[in-house]
Amino acid sequence: MSAPLPPGTSQAALDAALEAFRAAVGPQWVFTSEADRASYLDPFSIGDPDAHATAAAVAPANTDQLAQVLAAANAHKVPVWPVSMGKNLAYGTAAPALRGTVVLDLKRMNRIVEINEDLGYAVVEPGVSYFDFKAELDRRQSNLWMSGAAHSWGSVMGNALEHGVGYTPYGIHAETICGMEVMLADGTLVRTGFGAIEGSQEWQAFKWPFGPNWDGVFTQSNFAVVTKLGLWLMPQPEGMAGFTISVPAKGDLARLVDTLRPLRLDDTINATYTIANAWRQSTGGAQRSDLWQGEGAIPEEVVTRRLAERGRGWWNVIFNVFDHVPGGIDLRIDKINRHFAAHFPQASIEHTRWVKGEPQQAWMRQDVSLAPFGIVDWRGSPGGHSDFGPVVAAVGSRVTQVYELIERRFLEHGLDPWVGMFGMGGRALIFVADMLYKRDDPEMTAACQRLFRTLCREVSAMGVGLYRSHITFMDDAEAMHTWNAQDGQGALPALNERLKACLDPNNILAPGKQGIGSARA
Amino acid sequence: MKLTITLAVGALALSTLAAGAQEAPPSRTGEDIFAQRCVFCHDARGWGTRSLARRTPPDQAELLEREVLPEILVRHAVRRGIGSMPQFTPTEISDAELDALARWLATRNAD
Repeated sequence: MSAPLPPGTSQAALDAALEAFRAAVGPQWVFTSEADRASYLDPFSIGDPDAHATAAAVAPANTDQLAQVLAAANAHKVPVWPVSMGKNLAYGTAAPALRGTVVLDLKRMNRIVEINEDLGYAVVEPGVSYFDFKAELDRRQSNLWMSGAAHSWGSVMGNALEHGVGYTPYGIHAETICGMEVMLADGTLVRTGFGAIEGSQEWQAFKWPFGPNWDGVFTQSNFAVVTKLGLWLMPQPEGMAGFTISVPAKGDLARLVDTLRPLRLDDTINATYTIANAWRQSTGGAQRSDLWQGEGAIPEEVVTRRLAERGRGWWNVIFNVFDHVPGGIDLRIDKINRHFAAHFPQASIEHTRWVKGEPQQAWMRQDVSLAPFGIVDWRGSPGGHSDFGPVVAAVGSRVTQVYELIERRFLEHGLDPWVGMFGMGGRALIFVADMLYKRDDPEMTAACQRLFRTLCREVSAMGVGLYRSHITFMDDAEAMHTWNAQDGQGALPALNERLKACLDPNNILAPGKQGIGSARA
Repeated sequence: MKLTITLAVGALALSTLAAGAQEAPPSRTGEDIFAQRCVFCHDARGWGTRSLARRTPPDQAELLEREVLPEILVRHAVRRGIGSMPQFTPTEISDAELDALARWLATRNAD
């Protein structure tokens, strides 16, 4: 497979840039061979992985080398696609949105710069994985707990920047960001917040500086390369409880969401809850062929029958709650049980309990994990998955409306509607409607693409947007932001483009990331 | 099992799998790399082992128990992925480290 050229770039310009990259980082850290380029392809591509192939990869070890790489990229107008651990699986992994863009692999910048036990924060570089981070916390016998992502290969920084989630009170990872060091496209190094004060000891202590807070601007964007990130960490709690709540009927979703909402809103349930539909519950411990050998999606009656055989309801909720006061966890358990008894007595509730000093258990999700890989080959090997992820207000009727649309469209496209809904904070749920596909089945991957784009149009008409998307769909997801459009472009995408043109006039940083800069590439 | 492996190896693009002969010696041993990168999926209860159990003879799903594990198959699987296993880039496992890993697995299993 020949190397693609970056968008708008000649072979001579690419060759000149690669020479400059080699001078900057050392020739062994510029990767151009076919095998090396193949290692940066999306392993879960929704269709031909070559659609997002890279021309090369370059891996600086520090900010000095990074500045030289960006200078060369500007000089030769060669775009680069920064990745941290490059494990954004299900969303493109390390592959660029626009074919040919050179991967800027930041994995060698892998220092845990600081872990502050007193103030409860850490400062990390891009190449620190959850495996690395947990090992360091354990080595220090830290009192601080990690809020881990679904799979621990990922970067602590990258997950937070991509708005990833975890299952502790610190589970909205982007909300735990406090202070960044970023390099702008022109090589300027900037520290946000109180990091802009010489000798600051408050960089990670307070988020709101004199003037604007820029941290959010550098998440899910391409306005700079984040080189250091401050993250708040939770002190170890006194107690935890893990809940499993099952409700019997498909029509119970709205009541379930409305029953959970006040508990999540007042922080009685102080971490993410996950609602799983019947299809999602049916995969546990099973092969798809155990359930269904027919054509198309597994019919609803099949999964409903399986749940009945296992004594489970159509919807299942799991969550953990945390308390920092001795005995406090029992008050939370009591309140949750009483609340459901009053508002949803048909619900079946189980809980387990842990207090400080007891051995940790798997349900606490405090260990590193690769659990999502268990589902990848649901449709057969080589498998892949990616999700449609609308953000929906935590109102039962609206959640039901969006869910019913998603389920219907998945079934029509021959895909199992494997849906989880994550109660992030008190006010919204993030849907993860996972498309599970066989990568070497072009009809199935084409159906996934049609399904995703159909749902973009339809939920957009309901006033709903997405929280994240695979690189294949970034322009589609951006196009949903139509409020106050002029000349066919919504006001917010237009603002993003204006900022991008100002900060990165040559459009060298991740063109197409969240749809920003793709039109100019 | 030998037939399966022969077919798998035969499908590889041999010319792209040359060892990193010009690189400095790896700083990590094959055993280190297995412990740091592979074992999470390929221990007795890992998802990789469970996945392989569906397509290998009995007792051959766990890599450390595999009777025959050719170096070339390990190099291919790591750098290009195989089945539902994602690949690893040269910044995660260098060519020299990959050689060490492949040799360690092959010779260990041959013992």
